[in-house]
Amino acid sequence: MANTSTKQVQIIYGDATLGLRGEGFGYIFSYERGGMESLVQHGKEWLYRTPKPTFWRATTDNDRGNGFSVKSAQWLGTDMFLKCTKVDVAVNGNAIELPISPENNKYSNHEFADNVTITFTYETLTVPATTVTAAYTVNGTGEIKVSVDYHGKAGLPELPAFGLRFIMPTAAKGFNYDGLSGETYPDRMAGGETGHYTVDGLPVTKYLVPQECGMHMQTKQVTVIRNRTLDNTDHDNHDFNLTFLQAGQSFAFSCLPYTAEELENATHIEELPAPRRTVLTVFGAVRGVGGIDSWGADVEQQYHISAEEDHSFSFAIKGV
Amino acid sequence: MKPELGWLDDPQTFRVNQLPAHSDHRFYQSDTDLATGQSRFTQSLDGTWQFKFAKQPSERPVGFYEPDYDRSDFDTITVPEHIEIAGYGRLKYINTTYPWEGKIYRRPAYALGQDQKGDGMFSDGEDNYVGAYLRTFTLNPELRKQQRVVVQFDGVEQAMYLWLNGQFVGYAEDSFSQSEFDLTPYLRDGENLIAVEVFKRSTAAFIEDQDMFRFSGIFRSVRLVGQPAIHVQDMRIIGNLADDMTTGDFSLKLQLNRHDNANGNVKVAITDADGNSLFDTTEAVNDDVEISHKMFKNVHLWQHTDPYLYQLKVTVLDEQGAVVEIVPYQFGFRRVEMKNKIMLLNGKRIILNGVNRHEWDAKSGRVISIDDMKQDLKTFKENNINAVRTCHYPNRIEWYYLCDKAGIYMMAENNLESHGTWQKMGAVEPSYNVPGSLPEWREAVVDRARSNYEVFKNHTAILFWSLGNESYAGDDIAAMNVFYKDHDDTRLVHYEGVCRNRKYEDQISDMESMMYDPPKEIAKYLDNDPKKPFVDCEFMHDMGNSLGGMSSYDALIDKYPMYQGGFIWDFIDQAIETKDEVTGQTVLRYGGDFDDRHSDYEFSGDGLMFADRTPKPALQEVKYYYGKHIN
Repeated sequence: MANTSTKQVQIIYGDATLGLRGEGFGYIFSYERGGMESLVQHGKEWLYRTPKPTFWRATTDNDRGNGFSVKSAQWLGTDMFLKCTKVDVAVNGNAIELPISPENNKYSNHEFADNVTITFTYETLTVPATTVTAAYTVNGTGEIKVSVDYHGKAGLPELPAFGLRFIMPTAAKGFNYDGLSGETYPDRMAGGETGHYTVDGLPVTKYLVPQECGMHMQTKQVTVIRNRTLDNTDHDNHDFNLTFLQAGQSFAFSCLPYTAEELENATHIEELPAPRRTVLTVFGAVRGVGGIDSWGADVEQQYHISAEEDHSFSFAIKGV
Repeated sequence: MKPELGWLDDPQTFRVNQLPAHSDHRFYQSDTDLATGQSRFTQSLDGTWQFKFAKQPSERPVGFYEPDYDRSDFDTITVPEHIEIAGYGRLKYINTTYPWEGKIYRRPAYALGQDQKGDGMFSDGEDNYVGAYLRTFTLNPELRKQQRVVVQFDGVEQAMYLWLNGQFVGYAEDSFSQSEFDLTPYLRDGENLIAVEVFKRSTAAFIEDQDMFRFSGIFRSVRLVGQPAIHVQDMRIIGNLADDMTTGDFSLKLQLNRHDNANGNVKVAITDADGNSLFDTTEAVNDDVEISHKMFKNVHLWQHTDPYLYQLKVTVLDEQGAVVEIVPYQFGFRRVEMKNKIMLLNGKRIILNGVNRHEWDAKSGRVISIDDMKQDLKTFKENNINAVRTCHYPNRIEWYYLCDKAGIYMMAENNLESHGTWQKMGAVEPSYNVPGSLPEWREAVVDRARSNYEVFKNHTAILFWSLGNESYAGDDIAAMNVFYKDHDDTRLVHYEGVCRNRKYEDQISDMESMMYDPPKEIAKYLDNDPKKPFVDCEFMHDMGNSLGGMSSYDALIDKYPMYQGGFIWDFIDQAIETKDEVTGQTVLRYGGDFDDRHSDYEFSGDGLMFADRTPKPALQEVKYYYGKHIN
């Protein structure tokens, strides 16, 4: 690879993807899949499917009791079937024509920039519909700044959650984070103690009926540790890791072996499939769990997420 | 007397030939026995019993208690164990509706008219399965020497008939209170045959509709107890405080059973925790021995943060001065009172950082071990929990002793819940409520209050009696309150039904009690010249991933002196540990997982602990907020 010493990022103007490379990293953004398709650091792949904004949380007993999941059911469909409607690319902050064929014929195998931003716009399957954008800005160190913006729209039911979900190819060995102890939510985090915590494996809280779980509020960083890949030539089983960092505000995350939909469908923890992926979701907004009762009482108002208002969050994925 | 199956249908028959309830004191033959805690007056009947299961009364082995009955087809069962855990009866969980919902139409006897007696409702109930229990025993030599031998059943759900050597002894309901019978007239030298017929249902079913797994069988210990010629049958210890809150005000009342008016002496001694004598007296044996209002200056008070107990020791001596029995009891000096509409302990406002606690063990249901209890108290301590409501029935006796020692404020609740008779799919509809104001049901519920009081009255930890749970309100529950008020002026009475039927609000609860009232509603009550202090008998419903918003309840504590905290619902998930039928792995199962219908499914999973006694994540939140008002 040429010219990496300048710490610029090399751009591969592909026909179906935008490739961004540098020393120790290689990222691919897919126009067809509507998101980041590959995130390789030190030769290890971190993505199984393109990350997408997420809106659903596996219904809690309290959600069921107060009818929240019924009222907000539209967000489940959007969570599962969100469609990407637009892709924008900017190089060094300047928007360029979407570099697909034949537009990309004007480029070479020697294209570099200080930074590149690729922005995916998604349209929700709600009535009315609204849009969400996820923008990735990559620099020469491989650092990725991610900004996610939800555009509020009048008439939409409250959001169960709002985040960006990364599905990693294999189950993590564990993760560590700087944030609050235990499982915390906006209305249940006073007892969380700030510190650095290491979690073995990807524990799913063993509520009788699987449901939303494993949230960690007010996080400064989380590092996911894996030791296996799906690469048939990779026989190494040493630990490798990927770190998500606060950029501006702290964030919330959960790191589980399942998506909200997988959790949603199980009536018992033993019905969940064998853990084989890592589902790391970074949340910009978390709804409280409530607790006054489990048959009607709503979560206190200040812990709702209005879908009629805008929501934004950002974080960074550490470079190499 | 001849036992009648019809007793199962009659709310007015709930105890036959049972001995009166009395205090739960233990007694020993010597200081050596006292030191080891092993009384030679007792003989356990726990263990393996012969057992025959019948699906309904008509299929039961009639006469199985006769010595010459052919029992060659009997199985075995463990005592204590639930019939359902043993695999004979189907596991079932239901909350409000009765367990026969959708299968059998029943209305409580007399609820819809004097002529509706409900004959055959349970005695011929197709869902009323029967366990025939039987075993032999030979009296230990020490018991054989005693004047009287009684048998104690600590818990049998839900109705039992007892025979000894083929002769009928008695009948009991009230699954969660001790039932005691005098066996002396029926005992033989050598081998004795004890037989118990346990029915899954009786009229008690209507008032034992607790939100829980529905079990049956002998689920707590059974023992024989020998009582000497002079025996402390009952004792009432009062360790109160004078107005100065530093002077102990001690009273003791002993009720003695004396064979042939036997004479002797009773030594009463009190020592502090270091063994220093506080009080020592000897009184002549009489039917009653009473010590009234002995005042002790500067006593060490009992409270959650310092549960200091004094040792009372009653030694009964015969005419020759030989020890007949020794009765130890640890008690504390403390004072509970209502002053300016605030509940006080030792002159200070009580703040309840409490939990509701069902007795639960995932492997054995409501058959719990001392280790389970000790572990629960450890969890209480680690998480700043200072109070427990024995929802919704008297617990194993050992729990009360442990709470005395641990300084846990107890709300000791009767075995009473009838929400299926007045809560209909969330609506209040008491058209066939029991006990209501029905005279036919009154004695049954007052008896439950009596049992709860008589057995546990000496436990320092009990600050409140509770009349039961979710049973609406009427004259019968008011009569329970009268019982407590007539017998105990050292504690306060709680009943949540106060908010369900305001007509009775001056007759059934010293405090305003509600469950799951939102913080804003509680504030509204407290802002409007309230009559009584407020307690959440149940709040923060910790079902699944819950317990959000506790700060709003916590904020009430500092704002309103008349807000006195509450009891989180609840301490531990009820779920049954079993093997997954597909993978063989150990799993926890809930309502509906046993083909049990109608069910309320996972609604029993509301604990701060998972059913296997590992903590839920929410526990750290409880620790935090409860830690703000340690008292």
